[in-house]
Amino acid sequence: MKVIAVGNPLYGDDGVGAAVLARIEREHLLPDAVLVDVHTDALAVIDHFTPDGLHVIIDAAKMGEQPGRVVRFTPDEVRLRIKWDHLSLHGFGLAETFAMAESIGEMPERVVIIGVEPETIQIDRGLSDAVASAIPEVIATILAEVQRDAAEDHPRH
Amino acid sequence: MSTDLDIKVHHLTRVEGHGNIVVNMKQGVLEKARLEIVEAPRYFEAMLKGRSFHEAAIITSRICGICSLGHQITSLKATEQALGLEVSEQTVLLRKLLIHGATLQSNVLHAYFLAAPDFLGVGSVFPLVGSHPEIVKRALRMKRLANDIGDVVSGRAVHPITPVPGGFTRIPTEKELLEIRRRLIEDMVPDYLATVDTLQALAEAIPDFTRETEYISLRSDHDYALYDGDICSTDAGRVDTADYLGMTNEFIVPHSTSKHCKVSRSSYMVGALARWNNNHDKLCDTALNAAGALGLEPNCHNPYMNTIAQVVEAGHCAMDSVAIIDRLLDDGLKNERPNQEPTRYGTGIGATEVPRGVLYHEYTYDRQGRVAAANCIIPTGQNLANIDDDMKALVPEIIDRSKQDITLMLEMLVRAYDPCISCSVHMLDVQFKE
Repeated sequence: MKVIAVGNPLYGDDGVGAAVLARIEREHLLPDAVLVDVHTDALAVIDHFTPDGLHVIIDAAKMGEQPGRVVRFTPDEVRLRIKWDHLSLHGFGLAETFAMAESIGEMPERVVIIGVEPETIQIDRGLSDAVASAIPEVIATILAEVQRDAAEDHPRH
Repeated sequence: MSTDLDIKVHHLTRVEGHGNIVVNMKQGVLEKARLEIVEAPRYFEAMLKGRSFHEAAIITSRICGICSLGHQITSLKATEQALGLEVSEQTVLLRKLLIHGATLQSNVLHAYFLAAPDFLGVGSVFPLVGSHPEIVKRALRMKRLANDIGDVVSGRAVHPITPVPGGFTRIPTEKELLEIRRRLIEDMVPDYLATVDTLQALAEAIPDFTRETEYISLRSDHDYALYDGDICSTDAGRVDTADYLGMTNEFIVPHSTSKHCKVSRSSYMVGALARWNNNHDKLCDTALNAAGALGLEPNCHNPYMNTIAQVVEAGHCAMDSVAIIDRLLDDGLKNERPNQEPTRYGTGIGATEVPRGVLYHEYTYDRQGRVAAANCIIPTGQNLANIDDDMKALVPEIIDRSKQDITLMLEMLVRAYDPCISCSVHMLDVQFKE
């Protein structure tokens, strides 16, 4: 499986994905997972897609929820849920990246996004308290996703 | 002939960051023609102050997701010069490989995803996915391989971590390098030649507009200068990088939160076209053949051809990557540790050709090895005055066309420079002199 972080750690809560990866790495929580930080280049997510395997993407997402709220959703729901992506590469956010992967037939079946509602996206700030304290929940959600995925039967491609 | 014209493109698409095109002509007199940069300034240099020499490159690599590697390498070079850290030949070769991967990726993405839609008369890359899926797949294949060069050499392509002051924390394996080499030969070369064919068929969509300006890039006696070299100007000749402030002369203009630059004239150009004009004699045959096929000639003064120059040098990056890998393997990979024992604490300058042009970082370190002062001069900032001057020359030439046509020509002009406004918008907030 792959855990892919999107976002810029120089911009406050946009760094939540990188912070989650760091925790997973430090505490050896997912020894078999490939951890990838694509920074703000959402299009690079395509480079890390494989036909088989689970992909969990962590990103700060403006969803109109309370800061620090953790929401799991699927690519189909991305257009509806992600309203904030101005740091994207030339206008490529996750929604565009999924649309492109889909249309060239390279969208994997098993992709899950874990969005965290940011409080502050300002340069040279660390994570807000609300988002920092959501990290355990993000990690629990990833681990639950791994369990759920393992319980399912996946055809090989 | 129309005598009044009023164009305002708010938040130009397919460039990185927020910029507006504003053109205003009254009774045949051009009152305004400029690219307004409205993005809020970002205080990169202030962020560096007080950080240790281990941290500087990590912070600067995060300035921008698409320019990450260029900032990092430039930062490392500035730090190494300031602290007197010598690096090995293997380190230089691996860094050159990284720069090739990053330039290849950026240039290919710009040509296919940001410029090609204009040549094909569509609003974005998405219609191409339906009409030309094989072209989009090819572009993504090339991007992925370029990205993988970064992954193999630096750990992670977009947020590289193994390059540190004095060298690398991890050296790629022979097997990894051989696999990249194989894919460059078997996949990249045919994809590159197909790219040249595709662009050749579209070449007539590139506007014919000429305005000579000053072209500034690095130049090296040894190779096509990307990793290092002297500053080279078509007006001023070769200048040592120590004099980079005199070869940029930043100044503030009211319509831009990014500073403008000028040297010998009111503006100058950096980027692939400047590199081509100054260094085409150092390109490999694959790149020179592409230039021939795409009609790119020495001393080209058409800014729209910057996209073509990017594609030409992408061929060089691919082939020279093969040559660098061969040299690394011939010499034998050495499991070196980075040299991190400073021999002095002073000021150092890093100058690198990144995809959008020459990038400068200068740092001064205190006796604890912490940044006391920092200055970064970004390629897009250097091009802004030149873009404005191009617009002033272009609008009167095309004033008889429809407003829609003129607007498109102006948008294409700005996109040809491949500007990264996010990077360019920053203000110096730290006193420079010790």
